[in-house]
Amino acid sequence: MEEDRVQKEGNESGFPPGNKMTLHEISKRVSAHISRFYAGVHENKKLLGVIRTTLISVVTLLSVVFLVFYILFAVPQFQELPYGKGSGPANLKELKEDKNYRKITGTLSKDVQRLLRKYNSYTSGQSYIVINTTYNKFHLFRNKKLVREGRCSTGSYIMLKTHGEKKWIFKTPKGKYWIQGKIASPVWRKPDWAFVEEGLPIPPPNHPSRWEPGVLGDYALSIGDGYLIHGTIYKRFLGMPVTHGCVRLNDEDLEVIYKTLNIGSKVYIF
Amino acid sequence: MKTETGATKTGGKLTIIVIAVLVILFLVYYSVMAMLAPLKKLNELKEKYTPEYEEAASGSRILTDSTYLSLIKEKAFLQSKINMAETDSIYLVLNLADSIASLEISGVEVHSARISFFRMSSILGKGNEYLMYSLLSGPLNIVGDYSTIRKEPLMIKMAPRDTSEYKPDIIPDTTYHEPVNYILETDIGIRIFIYQSEKILPSDRKHQYFFDLNDRLRNTWNSLKRVAILEVPEYHPFIKLVLPGADARIIYRAIPRKGQIAVYL
Repeated sequence: MEEDRVQKEGNESGFPPGNKMTLHEISKRVSAHISRFYAGVHENKKLLGVIRTTLISVVTLLSVVFLVFYILFAVPQFQELPYGKGSGPANLKELKEDKNYRKITGTLSKDVQRLLRKYNSYTSGQSYIVINTTYNKFHLFRNKKLVREGRCSTGSYIMLKTHGEKKWIFKTPKGKYWIQGKIASPVWRKPDWAFVEEGLPIPPPNHPSRWEPGVLGDYALSIGDGYLIHGTIYKRFLGMPVTHGCVRLNDEDLEVIYKTLNIGSKVYIF
Repeated sequence: MKTETGATKTGGKLTIIVIAVLVILFLVYYSVMAMLAPLKKLNELKEKYTPEYEEAASGSRILTDSTYLSLIKEKAFLQSKINMAETDSIYLVLNLADSIASLEISGVEVHSARISFFRMSSILGKGNEYLMYSLLSGPLNIVGDYSTIRKEPLMIKMAPRDTSEYKPDIIPDTTYHEPVNYILETDIGIRIFIYQSEKILPSDRKHQYFFDLNDRLRNTWNSLKRVAILEVPEYHPFIKLVLPGADARIIYRAIPRKGQIAVYL
């Protein structure tokens, strides 16, 4: 009796009494709730309008997203579907016995060897230096072998502009150069920009104030157009792009490079 | 009233159906035109390299022979490198077979980088070997680029009027990080994408995605314009490379704006 009462109370209150409600009953209740909800929505025209507008907006938005995705991502993928006639190179045995084939491949082989020899001849057995201006590093080679590497400083990429028309860009030139001159105990002849940069008046070309000893280190190697590979008093800046276009090195590296490279030695800057 | 509402509803539905049909038709048309583009490009390349291609292709199975093709490939690559080595300029050599990208000046390798991943257009791959080697027997000339970094990181500094205005240069911030992604466009239409492999900051992935998306938008816009005038859109075969960021930066900064590239497939 007591159990029946609990079951009845449970059913009336809308909550299952313990675990006694079956799956069928639950689904029945859920569908009843859904039906009631739909009936309510159908009666409430304002809500119905909002739902309809939202649905249309969502469908439209999804269609646009699909359209954009399709055009931007799917079509380029379709373009990459395999094209071409065959399935790639094959090893044709009967062809290899053909006289004409052997003649053609023989000539090709010779051409390849000739071109390879020519290409290898570009790498000189002499000493040369490679300078990396992006990361301010150098590599010194002798007999095609790396003999020294280290830090250097190259152009700062600063464009110095005067209030007039003049401007200078402090960058290290890139490409192939060669050592055009070697100087021991170099003295720096200050160019115009050195004065402009400090707000000083530009002196006449041979004015004593243009000559400054001791700032270029013990050696300097000229690569043309006024660009030098030299030493520095600003050693803490090695490895950074801080120069006016020249290549700065520390004293030890500079000495080795000075002694290794000769006039005519190649300088590759990239 | 009821009839009017019904008519409006039917009219609305019809409009939606008509729009949907038009959109689907356009998508089909666009897809067909876009898929014709690689074929058109392939034919253009064949036409451009006709003398050599046709001559060798005349009734010979030799064009599919692996020994012959490997010799042709070697010859084309060496010819291309020698062409560039004759100049004093910096050039890029992409050896995809060995996954190496290197910079050379006059035949001397000045920098080398490991390619961690690469992918290329299907028209550059199987079935078109002979054409590709003929095409790559000369260097590819760079005609333009898109990049996330500047080629020359110029900073403008105004000269002081006198010594009182003079301030020493600021030490450059070498820890500054910017993701390196760029596209090199070549004269024969092949585009070389170079992406940085490391994703140091969470935003690096986002930068690469937007860089790529930007390119897709640019290409799609151009394709849509062509399709609108009933023309087959331009197709650009691509080679996509992933390199360490430092190497990618070195390569981009080193090669001239109108530089040259040799490719070994």
